[in-house]
Amino acid sequence: MKVKYSLSVFCMIAAWLSVAEAATQAVSDSSVNEGLINRSEPTLFTLGGFGTLGVSHSSQSLGDYILDSTLPKGAGRSSSWSMGNDSRIGAQLTANPTSTVSMVLQIISEYQSDNTYHPEIEWANVKYAFSPNTYIRAGRIALPTFLNSDSRKVGYSYPWIHPPVDLYRVVSITNSDGVDANYRFEIGEAGNTIKILNGKNTIKRPTSISTSEDMWGVFDTIDYGAALFRIGYQKRNASSYSLLTGITGAWVPNIDLSVGGSYDPGNWFVMSEWIQRKSTTKLSAMYLSAGVRLDKFTPYVTYSNNGRGSFLPGFPPPTVASVLSASRSQSTFTTGMRWDFRKNTDLKLQYDNVKLSDNSNGYLANLPANTVLFGTRLHVISAVVDFVF
Amino acid sequence: MLCVLFCTASSWADVVVVVSARSSVTRLSADNVTKIFLGKKNTYPGGGNAIPVDQLEGSVTREEFYLKVVSKSASQLAAYWAKVIFTGDGYPPRLVEGNIAVKRFVAANPDAIGYIDKSNVDSSVRVVLEP
Repeated sequence: MKVKYSLSVFCMIAAWLSVAEAATQAVSDSSVNEGLINRSEPTLFTLGGFGTLGVSHSSQSLGDYILDSTLPKGAGRSSSWSMGNDSRIGAQLTANPTSTVSMVLQIISEYQSDNTYHPEIEWANVKYAFSPNTYIRAGRIALPTFLNSDSRKVGYSYPWIHPPVDLYRVVSITNSDGVDANYRFEIGEAGNTIKILNGKNTIKRPTSISTSEDMWGVFDTIDYGAALFRIGYQKRNASSYSLLTGITGAWVPNIDLSVGGSYDPGNWFVMSEWIQRKSTTKLSAMYLSAGVRLDKFTPYVTYSNNGRGSFLPGFPPPTVASVLSASRSQSTFTTGMRWDFRKNTDLKLQYDNVKLSDNSNGYLANLPANTVLFGTRLHVISAVVDFVF
Repeated sequence: MLCVLFCTASSWADVVVVVSARSSVTRLSADNVTKIFLGKKNTYPGGGNAIPVDQLEGSVTREEFYLKVVSKSASQLAAYWAKVIFTGDGYPPRLVEGNIAVKRFVAANPDAIGYIDKSNVDSSVRVVLEP
């Protein structure tokens, strides 16, 4: 299985490069036609990019404030100010050899578990589209766990500095090597989109490598005017290899159930999501966010929380480490503002007031042994510039 | 702030959505037009391919069309397309410069749909939405 999927991604890239070569000639001939500047389907080849330059600071110097379990360091203990949480740059090459077939290759350089910014292939897939929203894809594709999963790494596409951390950290996996199918139908002015996905993933963390096999997902999205509602179910078998002990853990079934919705009539928006994750433990997380758009300014507020995990029956007795890990819980009150100060560029400022639960150190990382910050608060300020090109 | 918006609005001319006079489309709702221009649909409600054409960024007609019909400002639209492009889901409509060029393009292409200032309408195109 492993070989098969690796090969399929490799073939995808090889196919990709050959199309690229053949297309170079055509692009130069077809891009301008009688004052008509083609940016849509007729352009065989499109290269674009996005990026975020960000810095964050935390008031708690005993531990690191990190956005995701893949990050080795953050703001706080390792350094007072950190650029690792939000900074990244991505490039995307798209080819449209025919009106129904397209290929996409997206490469992202961001802070990694090994303390580098090594570029990684985020997506490399081939799509066959029957209509704009009815298609099948194969290769490395986005894993759409959340409402904003597809564009989680493109800061310019959403109002916040990053999607609400307490919820998005529940599933760090962003892509899947395999296939998916998307089918959309309409009833009056409402649209319903069903996506089914199958694949696998490997994700690196500072002290472990987690493999997910037999990932299956079913996602249903209903849109009606400015309203959107989404429900998702995904399951996978996951096993973790510890870089510290060299021990590979048992395969554990993981099940995620997520529900999300948004209402965005233009001048304001409200968005909320909830997820329940079951592995050896069961936990849930949520956020509620709202903002208003005042010309080029978008101030917003968000409340989010991430509850502690409760152990499910049927698994081996939990270890001290797993009990500590499952007891992590925190909530965050966020306020910030996006400023669209020039074309394709925004500046965002954000303040997070993070409350660690009364019986855990929350998701603070790199704490010295025996540190107890239970029930305390930390203040995090962040600033980013997002751009697309 | 409201005054600025109001004053700008009052200085606009009227934008209308047009198709070729040879097209079989006679009437479209704002919702139909929005879906076509945001790339959510590539067909007309009664069937047939829809090919939207945009005016250049910064043009008054474009700003008016997107605010009145699609309810998006220029920066919201840019953020929307960033999301769509970088999820591999599509690209914005092709660009054509100016009301006259859009009218000619639409008139010559039965599948095309565009928006122009009302003063540029003639018998070569049919108005399908007056927002």
